[in-house]
Amino acid sequence: KAMCSGKLQTGLLVAGYFIYLLVGAAVFQALERTAEKQEKIAAAQMKEAFLQSFTHLTVAEMEQFMKNLTEAIQNGVYPVGNESQTEDSNWDFSNSFFFAGTVVSTIGYGTLHPKTAGGQIFCVFFALFGIPLNIVFLHRVGKMLSLLCKKLGKFLYEKGMTKKKIKFLTLLFFLATGILVFLCLPSLFFQITEGWSYSEGIYFAFITLSTIGFGDYVVGKQPDRIYFSYYRTLVAIWILFGLAWIALLFNL
Amino acid sequence: MLLAAYVGYVGLGAGVLQALERPAEVQAAQHLLQQHWELLANHTCLRGPGLQRLIEGIIQAYKSGITLQGNTTSLGRWDFSGSFFFSISAITTIGYGNLSPSTAAGRIFCILFALFGIPLNLVVLNEIGQLMLLGVQQCARRLEELFHRQKKASLLIKTCALVTGLLLFLLLPPLLFSDKEGWSYEEGFYYSFITLSTIGFGDYVIGMNPDHTYPGWYKNVISLWILFGMAWLALVIKFCINFLE
Repeated sequence: KAMCSGKLQTGLLVAGYFIYLLVGAAVFQALERTAEKQEKIAAAQMKEAFLQSFTHLTVAEMEQFMKNLTEAIQNGVYPVGNESQTEDSNWDFSNSFFFAGTVVSTIGYGTLHPKTAGGQIFCVFFALFGIPLNIVFLHRVGKMLSLLCKKLGKFLYEKGMTKKKIKFLTLLFFLATGILVFLCLPSLFFQITEGWSYSEGIYFAFITLSTIGFGDYVVGKQPDRIYFSYYRTLVAIWILFGLAWIALLFNL
Repeated sequence: MLLAAYVGYVGLGAGVLQALERPAEVQAAQHLLQQHWELLANHTCLRGPGLQRLIEGIIQAYKSGITLQGNTTSLGRWDFSGSFFFSISAITTIGYGNLSPSTAAGRIFCILFALFGIPLNLVVLNEIGQLMLLGVQQCARRLEELFHRQKKASLLIKTCALVTGLLLFLLLPPLLFSDKEGWSYEEGFYYSFITLSTIGFGDYVIGMNPDHTYPGWYKNVISLWILFGMAWLALVIKFCINFLE
């Protein structure tokens, strides 16, 4: 009988999972479809306008040019401005380090990704050992953070609080400070350094720390901005501690 | 100590990737610039600002996930199938990014959706993983009864399970992908691993090629593969971690 109820539970869980996915899909579709249509119309109009001002370009040549351009952009080469752009590489050491970090943390933004077969195979094996290493590492950092929590709990216990209240309070404290330090404050920071709105900053912080990492927002990638030299390193440290905080949250 | 190893590991990876990717990138950049100049040379009326605006427009469109080839078409990306796949990519934390919400409401909903969806996903993956483990243990027990050699049977079953998982989730799917997507085997393998590990760059995504037709069962089978494959890979990584610690 116990076996039966266990199987039923699993079945319900799986069904709930798929229903959750279906509901999400419907909502996303409803929210995004019209915006997408408008973007497409705008893009087509732009194309038309361009063709009209340069009428001796045949449509075929235009298509070819656009295709080449799109390919270049997909490869992370943005041909805006002058050729001085080719001196900055996407694969300089600082960027490669950041990339390697996004691999082992499984964030995987994708704005930078290996295109050579060798790079891709290396990436697979690098991640195979890097991801467990990352998890173990975060575990340790999380343990250090939890020691702080225990100290707080001990302090409160000596002041005469019940254990239940202590547990609740430490959880609340942990949650609140974490949200402040890892979500709210960084978003303010990004407002200044990236020019994003506050809500875009929160969205970026959430998508990064949850390791979803869409890559629609990435730090340090605006071509018209200057970043101070340890910017990306600072952001990497934030990501590291933020991930450890989340891992700890799950343990609590 | 662990910190040093971690940073060292990441730095090592960075160095290797840089060495592997930089030359190809330089080549691509030069190629594009050459085309750029050729185009300008062939059509001397194309002036800087107009061309610049076009390029910026294309970059903008690309970031919104729109490619400007052919006639902009009826191929909606936020149709139900696309949105479903997007939901999967969000709660599994794969996060391809080839499709991502551009409206503020979409983004807020995405955060909330993932906030509850990710734990749900973890629980489901855990359940599936436990079921797999149970199945393997039952097989091991049966084999023990048959052969009366406990240690050997257990090891045999575990290797068998690992190899089957490897075949089913990492080695065979690339064949399917090379047929349906036109990728090379290596690219299919790379895609499989990047997906199942939830890294999900989004440089390769199934079902996105406008020149291919995909059978109806394709996306659904892939979704199942992602689910079970992730559970399997999570088990493998768990074993790796136990080994490390």
